Amino acid sequence: MTKVLELKNVTMQFGGVTALNDVNLHVEKGEILALIGPNGAGKTTVFNVITGVYKPTAGDIVFNGNVSLVGKKRWQITEQGIARTFQNVRLFGEMTALENVITAGDVRSKSGFVGSLFGMPRSRREERENREKAMELLKFMGIDHSAHKLGKNLPYGDQRRLEIARALGTRPELLLLDEPAAGFNPSEKVALAETIKKIRDAGYTVLLIEHDMSLIMGISDRVAVLDFGTKIADDSPTVVQNDPRVIEAYLGVPADAS
Amino acid sequence: MDFSVLVDQFFALTIDGIALGFIYTLIALGYTMVYGVLRLINFANSEVFMLGTFATIMTSKNIFGYADDTEPLTGIKLVYTLLACLIISMLVCAITGVLVEIIAYRRLRKTGSNRLTTLISAIGVSIVISETVRILTSSAPANNPRLLDKIYLISYAGTEFHLFGIRFPVSAFEVRLDTLLVIIFAFLLLFSVDRFVKTTRLGKGIRAVSMSEQNSQLMGVNLNKVISSTFFIAGLMTGAAAFFYTTVYESTKFNVGFELGLAAFTAAVLGGIGNIRGAFFGGIALGLLEIYAATIFGTQWKAVTAFVVLVLVLLFKPNGLFGESLQQARV
Amino acid sequence: MAFNLRDRGADIWDKASAPGRIAIAGGAMIFAICLPFMGGTFLNTPISSYEAVLVYPVGLFVLMALGLNIVVGKSGLLDLGYVAFFAIGAYTMAILGTHTSLNFWEILPIGIGLAMLSGVILGLPTLRLRGDYLAIVTLGFGEIVRIVALNTMAIGGPNGIANIPTPPKFLSLEYTLQNQKAYYWTVLLLIFLVIWMIRRLSTRRPGRAWESIRQDEDVADLMGVRTLKYKIWAFAIGAAIGGAGGVVFAAKSMFVAPEMFTLNTSILILACVVFGGMGNIWGVITGAVILAYLPERIRFISDARLLIFGLTLVIMMNLRADGILPRKKREKSLHS
Repeated sequence: MTKVLELKNVTMQFGGVTALNDVNLHVEKGEILALIGPNGAGKTTVFNVITGVYKPTAGDIVFNGNVSLVGKKRWQITEQGIARTFQNVRLFGEMTALENVITAGDVRSKSGFVGSLFGMPRSRREERENREKAMELLKFMGIDHSAHKLGKNLPYGDQRRLEIARALGTRPELLLLDEPAAGFNPSEKVALAETIKKIRDAGYTVLLIEHDMSLIMGISDRVAVLDFGTKIADDSPTVVQNDPRVIEAYLGVPADAS
Repeated sequence: MDFSVLVDQFFALTIDGIALGFIYTLIALGYTMVYGVLRLINFANSEVFMLGTFATIMTSKNIFGYADDTEPLTGIKLVYTLLACLIISMLVCAITGVLVEIIAYRRLRKTGSNRLTTLISAIGVSIVISETVRILTSSAPANNPRLLDKIYLISYAGTEFHLFGIRFPVSAFEVRLDTLLVIIFAFLLLFSVDRFVKTTRLGKGIRAVSMSEQNSQLMGVNLNKVISSTFFIAGLMTGAAAFFYTTVYESTKFNVGFELGLAAFTAAVLGGIGNIRGAFFGGIALGLLEIYAATIFGTQWKAVTAFVVLVLVLLFKPNGLFGESLQQARV
Repeated sequence: MAFNLRDRGADIWDKASAPGRIAIAGGAMIFAICLPFMGGTFLNTPISSYEAVLVYPVGLFVLMALGLNIVVGKSGLLDLGYVAFFAIGAYTMAILGTHTSLNFWEILPIGIGLAMLSGVILGLPTLRLRGDYLAIVTLGFGEIVRIVALNTMAIGGPNGIANIPTPPKFLSLEYTLQNQKAYYWTVLLLIFLVIWMIRRLSTRRPGRAWESIRQDEDVADLMGVRTLKYKIWAFAIGAAIGGAGGVVFAAKSMFVAPEMFTLNTSILILACVVFGGMGNIWGVITGAVILAYLPERIRFISDARLLIFGLTLVIMMNLRADGILPRKKREKSLHS
């Protein structure tokens, strides 16, 4: 089992507040790991620390066993193979759906500024390939019919799906999904669960933050629980569900928590 | 580069620098307080200052009827004339500030426009005010009658003594009445604003809004009232600065706002934009820096000092000495 | 707004066939080329020479507005010191023109290169700053350039540099004070080049990078867009265009002085971009043409020109922040 990502003793402090306290966490290749915890537990902070938005106060984050992500620039981390979605949808609203995904795909292009300007063969080829791949991803997420609609004009569900398609556009190894089911009704959540499984089956590894327990229990291979910045559990879904510490932290949050 | 003048006149220059610094601080409040509540650079503040200088002159000339060659006043007449100029300048600036907010910024704030749009609107207002005054004055300068005589309270010409063949200069030291009054009254005003913001309900409202607009509204703060009050107070301070400036430097022109506004903005950034106490240190520091630099490099480079300091601060310490940073990503 | 002029235009363009498009583009280009000959019509300007006006302010403002548009309109970087690049181009022409035997065409690439270099030098440390701070720093830079020019006697100080040579005859076309047509067509050539370049870049990686930076820089970063690199490119290209304009300006005016390169000019160019429609080539051109040409045509507003610009900025931002010809609202792939 290769560890795609490993957080080693990661602490994140903001002034007097400790958002993450000595967190040890790893994600295995090809699994779906769910990160849960009460509000304010530090889940999005984990994402921010992984993707380079914040630099951890202490600890290391290792990708594929040998690359330390700490201190790297954000685009470099994306280039390594990590992509994410956001709690509140943050599309490039004034670009079309297709353009959103193509822009993400640019990280894999080698052609530079001059190549684009003079229409060099490599640049043209990369454009074409990027565009084709982007269309494929839109189909994969079931939104290819909206390829030429502006991001901000898409219905909410399609926007969320587009964010995932865009993240996939960067051809990541590891996909971070931040509350992808927020605002979905039950049937949409079922469809999303299927989609996430489809993503995993296509070869991606998924780290997912969610509040909906039935969604999580249905698709996750493992569940990690954060409470006040500390990891309090990390095991298979059924074990975690019955862990007294977890139950105490949540005080029995109902299944449909959105 | 000439250091000898700097050394020989050090204390005298320092007093001048502190007085200039206080003027900068007062104008800087105009930038820093507005930035605190709106996260907007109040470009129009420099022109509000300029209006204050004209208000000061027009009060003594048009209301009191003094002319350029009037003899300086004394006694109670001096006191109430100066007070009138000060208060009218402060009020003109305060009201202009509030109007600017309502006309140029409020609508954009309500529709949630991005920073670029608001900044451009601020620039537009600044241009409208300065151009209007330029057209009305035909670009001619206006002079302030010398109502307060430039009396030297202390005047010590400086000396030097020789010890073992080395020359030790003792700096000249002089204190002029008007400079001293600027320092004293500016300090009082700054102290009052600081107390106001810390202790009164409105002051706390201002601080709350600058920390979090949303949360303060949830706590019952009347946003429009707080914002208008901020512009009002900022205007009062800028107006006071305009009065002090006009009294000390005795003339103004339609474009006086630009250089001073920029210097004051630099002071605000130096102290940490949004931070009132920081503006104080930033202002004094910049005032001193400018006076010293002008002495060493020559007065024509004085204008550049503020720019260079500004660029350096923004590059190496955008937080300023005490303030917050804009640089955090918002995710 | 129900009626969107720009989308209407885009509609006509998209529906036209290939020959149709050539006809439209060709027609527009021919019209632009023929403008100097229309001095006898209602387009004539009362005070200054019509042809001179076409070169400056109209032509050069259009050129500079296109350059600034890449920085402000496309990438969302507020540059308030754009005139600095114009000045660097102009002074390069002035100094090299009066001290060496190089002619205009040889100096042009040098001027562009120097302006571009200063764009990069300015950009490297400052483009990490956001929004307001960037605006102030660029404003400071613009002013520093002017003040240095003012105080450096070696390049003329406040008196500037005079007797700048005009460009040499080009295919029997003379560049003279009386006959400004050649200057105009030179500027027009530059404008066509710039339009071609912008359209090229917009539909490819740089254009996407700039758009994503403008719309949400933090997210662009996280999607792998190399934001710093492309911000510097935007600055560099914008500076290059400004510098090119400066070189032509100096060759046409035959005299440069610091007072010609003030903050006001930066603001005027910004007004052209804003008024016309940020990010949108055609809007920017329209805005520049209107704001540059009208004061010359209608004498009485000439003195109040800057005042009207200020009002324009405030009114446009408050009522129609997208400009006269706003960027696309409908679903169409990335055009200019």
